Amino acid sequence: MTSSPVVTAPAAPRRRRFERPNFWTLAGLPGIVYLIAVFGIPLVFIVVRSLTDPSPANYAAVVEDPLYSASLWRTVQIAFLVTVLSLAIGYPLAYAMARSGKRLAMVLGAALLLSFWTSLLVRTFAWQVILNNTGLVNQFLLGTGIIDEPIPLIRNLFAVLVGMVHILIPYAVLAIYASLRGIKPEVEQAAQSLGASPWRVFTRVTLPLSLPGVAAGGILVFVLSLGFYITPALLGGPGDILISQSVVLQVQQYLQPGMGAAMAVVLVALVLLVFVIATRFIGLGRILGVTGAPGGESR
Amino acid sequence: MKANPAIKIFGLVIAFVLVAPTIIVVATAFTESSIITFPPKGFSFRWFEEVLTSRQWIEALQNSLITGAIAAVLAVVVGISLAMAAARGTAIPRTGLTTFALMPMLVPLVVIAIGVYLAFVQIGFYGNVFALGVAHSILGIPFVFINVLAALTNLDPRVEEAARASGASYPITLLRITVPQILPSAFVGGLFAFIASWDEVVVAIFLVTPGFKTIPVMIWSQVREGLEPSTSAVSTVLTVVTLVVFGIVALLNARKSKRTATS
Repeated sequence: MTSSPVVTAPAAPRRRRFERPNFWTLAGLPGIVYLIAVFGIPLVFIVVRSLTDPSPANYAAVVEDPLYSASLWRTVQIAFLVTVLSLAIGYPLAYAMARSGKRLAMVLGAALLLSFWTSLLVRTFAWQVILNNTGLVNQFLLGTGIIDEPIPLIRNLFAVLVGMVHILIPYAVLAIYASLRGIKPEVEQAAQSLGASPWRVFTRVTLPLSLPGVAAGGILVFVLSLGFYITPALLGGPGDILISQSVVLQVQQYLQPGMGAAMAVVLVALVLLVFVIATRFIGLGRILGVTGAPGGESR
Repeated sequence: MKANPAIKIFGLVIAFVLVAPTIIVVATAFTESSIITFPPKGFSFRWFEEVLTSRQWIEALQNSLITGAIAAVLAVVVGISLAMAAARGTAIPRTGLTTFALMPMLVPLVVIAIGVYLAFVQIGFYGNVFALGVAHSILGIPFVFINVLAALTNLDPRVEEAARASGASYPITLLRITVPQILPSAFVGGLFAFIASWDEVVVAIFLVTPGFKTIPVMIWSQVREGLEPSTSAVSTVLTVVTLVVFGIVALLNARKSKRTATS
């Protein structure tokens, strides 16, 4: 109101503080309003609930009550373990995909995508079938006489790890594959022609150049692990509950939505913290595998 | 540099372990016996028959399909809108808007689920395809946004300039020139949005009622009680639909890259 609208726009080439919204911004308004209404407001509901039902003391409980803090700490540990395993198993697969003939690359890629596209719920169900007391592995071991009694392969951390790593490997592989494909063959050839052994070419040239992909895949797997619910709920034991399970239990079973909300806020804070730190080094698009045109390199 | 044979073999083993669970579920769906065994005993469509003649499963199937369609349509409209502002808008910083649109990908599903639950139940908006469709649209928006944003960045601005210079207003240019050009990309994003809803359980658990269930929710409650061949049969149906949709996506992408290669 105090500004004088008659003044002409500053001629300085630097960016103005406030740009007038153009037509395209207006076209974006319905989308922005919708996403705030159905996604933003529910998140605000969680924060409000966590502070008012019954009081902000919920957060003290998350930290102090060993029941909650243990599930939080366990979640971080498992996420870390899953990340390391996914990268360690995924790297050779990505390497085989990126550095072999067309036929093998296609077979490996097809297997990866078939697994990737099978619903998480179905794959978790499959692991129940495989690891059950009367399941595939136990049937086989009993049949061959290696064991006399079924060994407990399910309802424990082992099963959770197997299930989570199986589901998350494709994310690691796709990120690593993209970075391996981005390395120019000439670089490796140069090292080779200068007398480096294949192992040396790998450790000194290929591996360092593919590290951004490893980091991107690792961060994605870690963050996704933090929020896993279905797989630990179906494959894990009652003693080793992860934070997302605690959230659901508090809301659904114990009817303490305020407590569940507080844990949800802690979970989101943890995830966003990882992203904030990670995006200082790698772009968000790269982590989410959306660099370039979709359907391009990351398929 | 070619990978050495040991790595190729390791890759094949891992690839096999990756697909094995999917194959096992599909195989156990065709068993004759009433318990899950592997290898399955005999071969029959018994469990598919049981599922496809059960009123409960058919209703769940309809609910899942309609919810997915609603989620996809909403995600397409909202995703296009957000992408336009992110690609060409002023006044709102592009990175801020992009992060906002991708946020549903970053926030854990459980958190979205209880947020939506706390908010939607407050206004009695649950237990039907619209409520779940709206909730699921959140998950699909990033897919549409990413696809449309890429398409918008690749558009030739001169086409729109020509329309404007010929006297078309902004809204007419948007509807007649811009949207038709980005529609194929938005459609692919919409297919992803459909799948995001189609096999989603966590958000759904919180918004279903005894009278309104989706396929994944039914599977979820079944596997918590015991392992039955009918679960394998439904899982197979679920997976086949997903594979068909992704097959369409792959075909569309292949056609697109062929077209860009020839032009």
